[in-house]
Amino acid sequence: MKVINIKHAAAALVIGVAASAHAEGELNVLTWEGYTDPSFVEPFTEATGCAVTPTYVGSNDEYPAKLAGGGGVYDLVSPSVDTTTILMKAGLVEEIDVSRIGQWDNIYEQFRNHVGVNYEGGVYGVPFTWGSIPFMYRADRFDQAPDSIASFWEDESLSGTISLWDDKTNIYIVARLLFGTDVDVYNLSDDQLAAVRDKLIALKPHIRKFWSTAGELVNLYANGEVTISNTWGGYQSSLLAEQDIEMVEFIPVEKADGWADAWQIVKGSPNADCAYAWLDYATSSGGQCGVVGVTGYSGSNPVVLRECLDEATFEALNQADFKYIDGLVLWEEPARVDAYINTWNAIKAAQ
Amino acid sequence: MKPRTRQVLNFWSLFTGPALWWGTVLLVPYLMMLAISFYTRQFPFHVPDFQFGNYITLIADSQYFTVLLRSLWIALAVSVTAFFLSYPLAYFLAFKVRSNRLRLFLYTAAIVPLWVSYLLRAYTWKTILGSEGILNSFLMWIGVINEPSTIFLYNQGAMVVTMAYIFTPFMVMPIYASLEKIPVSLIEASKDLGAPRFTTFRKITLPLSMPGVLAGFTFTFGLSIGDFISPILVGGPYSNMIANVVATQFGMAMNWPLGSALGVVLLVIVLGIITASDKLERVGRINLG
Repeated sequence: MKVINIKHAAAALVIGVAASAHAEGELNVLTWEGYTDPSFVEPFTEATGCAVTPTYVGSNDEYPAKLAGGGGVYDLVSPSVDTTTILMKAGLVEEIDVSRIGQWDNIYEQFRNHVGVNYEGGVYGVPFTWGSIPFMYRADRFDQAPDSIASFWEDESLSGTISLWDDKTNIYIVARLLFGTDVDVYNLSDDQLAAVRDKLIALKPHIRKFWSTAGELVNLYANGEVTISNTWGGYQSSLLAEQDIEMVEFIPVEKADGWADAWQIVKGSPNADCAYAWLDYATSSGGQCGVVGVTGYSGSNPVVLRECLDEATFEALNQADFKYIDGLVLWEEPARVDAYINTWNAIKAAQ
Repeated sequence: MKPRTRQVLNFWSLFTGPALWWGTVLLVPYLMMLAISFYTRQFPFHVPDFQFGNYITLIADSQYFTVLLRSLWIALAVSVTAFFLSYPLAYFLAFKVRSNRLRLFLYTAAIVPLWVSYLLRAYTWKTILGSEGILNSFLMWIGVINEPSTIFLYNQGAMVVTMAYIFTPFMVMPIYASLEKIPVSLIEASKDLGAPRFTTFRKITLPLSMPGVLAGFTFTFGLSIGDFISPILVGGPYSNMIANVVATQFGMAMNWPLGSALGVVLLVIVLGIITASDKLERVGRINLG
């Protein structure tokens, strides 16, 4: 019996080698978990012969860090539309020929025209997914939702139960709290940044923990450590629902940040044909329905999503309401990003 | 072949590998770090330069001093905690345990945590110290507290406990090694001459074990001052350490020059500690002589 098994194995090996020899190319992808889920990557590979090998990141920082560290390994990346700016200004990604992307015109205009994917008249990113950064709380700990984040400073009962994302984007909503929702949060002056810094330092005694990964925030709630925090809209609350912990997401009067992730082609990628095949697929029904189904985020192409999502889901993901995106403050890379990072670091460092 | 040639050949056949390794993965990177620390930050990366701006930033902006001071304090607290946990254990192993097998077993048990992943061990402390953790459940069960306390986790205390646990083997091993080498005859002589037990410990055992204690302190201090995992896992809002700031500079900020300058400062501190402990050890030797 053993001999036959070995023969089988040898046959499988030969077939495997033959199959990979027929492949048109291989895409090395630096991306978020869920963005290259086998459920929708396998049909892509079958159709195009392009194999996809993902490496996952835990935060946006890793995209510039890995590409600048001199990789030459990756063909595609999928950072958020603030980090995309760093990559294109640093010359780490290629200009994209949108005529090769069949569904380009059906992508939300707000994302197609976003400053994060347009640079010197060219397009450098293909929007893929989006969502909001709302706040959420444990349903069993609150009678009614706080309508403003001002309560974090004022409501003593919240003290020690607050968690905030360990990210410079906290500056934006606190700036809107201090200076009104019309303030341009991406062009704050030094004085405004200092005021935001002092305000957030004053909040530190009331913060239980800064969370840095989705799993960490889920555990903080599940272990009863925190009751209220900001969140990646729809994502952590659904993970907590699986553990029978009911969460309520809300957008405070200070409004919420909006994020979008876009695919970019790494400069000098030898697999440009496969990369374009992927960009085309990612924005068509296969990629859009696939990623929305896996992650629970909203997709960038509402036209194809209408085909695969039922009406209730389509509504719940705010895909029907084009105005919803305008209600969010979409991320951009601040012009003086160093000053913002320095502000956030000073907040973290303060004693 | 001349004996001299053979000697040279033998030398290099043995040391070429280590020399290459030492040069390429230690010396060159350190020199690069030193060089980049003088570069100028220019969005989005940096440009080669020779200027002291990054070091001036570290002095002028008080956030770096705050974090550095915190790191030094935490590293010291970890080292002292690890010392008080390790010395009695090492002493017990070296002098009190008669059976060689038992000694080997206990010694292995003390250092076996080294074989378990750092992350796993740090996560374990979360389940012990958390609001719904083992410690809180126990204290509520015996009636010391009525409701879960949040004071055990997500603060500097939790970091000190976690790191002291994780780095204790690095303290136990050198102390045990130095205690084991002390000739029993010296201790017996001291006792024969009428010295009380504590005097014998203070005048004979402790001084002779100082090299081990210093080595343990150096290891523990060096490991904990550069730690950046425990602040993330069990630290709270006031737990950022110098290594976390370095990590941000190489990640989000893309400010390699400032990150390198911080790295150089950290390196100088650790080298300073190693030099100081070396000096102290020499002083100890002369006094005994």
